[in-house]
Amino acid sequence: MLKCGMNGSQVKVFGKAIQALSRISDELWLDPSEKGLALRSVNSCRSAYGCVLFSPVFFQHYQWSTSVEMNNNDTMSNLNCKLGMKSILPIFRCLNSLERNVEKCTIFTKSDKCKVVIQFFCRHGVKRTHNVCFQESQPLQVVFEKNMCTNTLMIQPRVLAEAIVLFTSSQEEVTLAVTPLNVCIKSSNEESMDLTNSVYSEMFVGPDEFDFFQIGVDSEITFCFKELKGVLIFSEATHAPISIHFDIPGKPIALSIDDMLLEANFILATLADEPSSESSPQSLCLSQKRKRSNSKADKKDQGRGVHLKKSNTQKALS
Amino acid sequence: MKFRAKIADAACLNHFTRVSSMVAKLAKTCTVRISPRQLNFILADKVASGGVSMWCELEQENFFSEFQMEGVSAENNEIYLELTSENLSRALKTAQNARALKIKLTNKHFPCLTVSIELLSVSSSSRVVTHDIPIKVIPRKLWKDLQEPVVPDSDVSIYLPVLKTVKSVVERMKNISNHLIVEANLNGDLNLKIESELVCVTTHFKDLGNPPSASADASHGRDPEQMAEVHVDIRKLLQFLAGQQSTPTKAVCRIVGDKVLHLDVLHEDVSLQYFIPALS
Repeated sequence: MLKCGMNGSQVKVFGKAIQALSRISDELWLDPSEKGLALRSVNSCRSAYGCVLFSPVFFQHYQWSTSVEMNNNDTMSNLNCKLGMKSILPIFRCLNSLERNVEKCTIFTKSDKCKVVIQFFCRHGVKRTHNVCFQESQPLQVVFEKNMCTNTLMIQPRVLAEAIVLFTSSQEEVTLAVTPLNVCIKSSNEESMDLTNSVYSEMFVGPDEFDFFQIGVDSEITFCFKELKGVLIFSEATHAPISIHFDIPGKPIALSIDDMLLEANFILATLADEPSSESSPQSLCLSQKRKRSNSKADKKDQGRGVHLKKSNTQKALS
Repeated sequence: MKFRAKIADAACLNHFTRVSSMVAKLAKTCTVRISPRQLNFILADKVASGGVSMWCELEQENFFSEFQMEGVSAENNEIYLELTSENLSRALKTAQNARALKIKLTNKHFPCLTVSIELLSVSSSSRVVTHDIPIKVIPRKLWKDLQEPVVPDSDVSIYLPVLKTVKSVVERMKNISNHLIVEANLNGDLNLKIESELVCVTTHFKDLGNPPSASADASHGRDPEQMAEVHVDIRKLLQFLAGQQSTPTKAVCRIVGDKVLHLDVLHEDVSLQYFIPALS
């Protein structure tokens, strides 16, 4: 059973997380645990994954309790709640007005009822209740050691937002090229240069614009622009810097926002460099989420990934 | 063929950006003509635009601190390029806080107009942004179709009312019919009429004033109350109005009965002429 409450400004941040994840996929997992409430989404071709984990201290109050009886079936203690973005996104629309009008928002669910109840207690005694049905589905999560990446950048979201303005939304992919001297964000060269419409844009950013700049290997990675926009939407709400972890082409790029109350990770696959590579980015290594338990054997299990999609050029992540 | 120019003043840059957004709203693809003294945005492809043509002119020295061009040849010292208007306006929009903007003709993998922007940034290092806009060079033999249109001898010329008002009126009229009648006289009266089976709506503008007529003899002896009218596709007029984002310094409308509606506006130092043909 999940029961948590937020005030107006917390609802805004929560809503922004949902909006950011909606850029990745049409479905969202609501995944509560003792660590907090995680929102997860994966896109259909498994090339982008987003997870925003709100710690219990983010909320006004947070309660998560699993069923008392012990089950041999591992999956029972997860909520296994998958919601359609079409159902949940409209509830968190007009975040600025929600922030102003909502005094308290509660989210309540029981796994046996397959329903999430979201209530907004607004000014002037108005109470809005939403009952959203969910599909039972085990959440997926990505196995990716971002701290093992050779290149790490930390940047204020405003700088990245200024860079993104350069690119039109028709741009499918964006390339990040780094050397120890500078960083360049540019239109991807992958698409054939169609004379009629594509403008090639590039922006150079010097190392002193970054809060943290560590480049271990010169690299040019290409990933999906649409998903990057999603990360930016969320970062505007948190005012925390964005950390970017990446390696060589083909290995995923992780964009994270980490502050005391929440931790967001957006992991995007990148195009592999080989001439024989497919035109679409590599798939991420995803695993089914296991029940948390104190047993050591189970903990080991969590590390092993279940590859949901294999391709010839896929690189192992862990 | 060479072209390089620089804008170093923020006000000039903003004005140039606004002009380019206006052009982007009026013509999807347009021709840019570069000559030693002027820069023009031209739409003359009558077939593609349904008969509409546009001529926008600006004096380069009002905008550029540096301007160097070398045309196709010494006798034909001009450059005609074709590009997607929105590409240029979008690139210019990214130069909101620029220290300087440079435009030049380049040939990387194919001919481009390269816009490079030096942005002001918080830290000491300035950020450089480059956009390569693909263009097509228009050959000399096609230049004759891209010359400044001759202003026709009009039956009536009249100052336009506030364009915002005209736009809101025309927008609503569009819901009734696409066939708009524009009529005006030398007494400062302008009427916009729309008809359908059920309803007939006319909006009357009075006391607009008429500019002094260039060919005094044409309007000499014309009854000031007599209306000259032209029937046009309302969507074309609406497109023109949608492109006017700010109030022009001067706005004149000339009617050549049953032939063409000529709109002539001046935004500070940039002149724009828009020709809408009469419905046949």
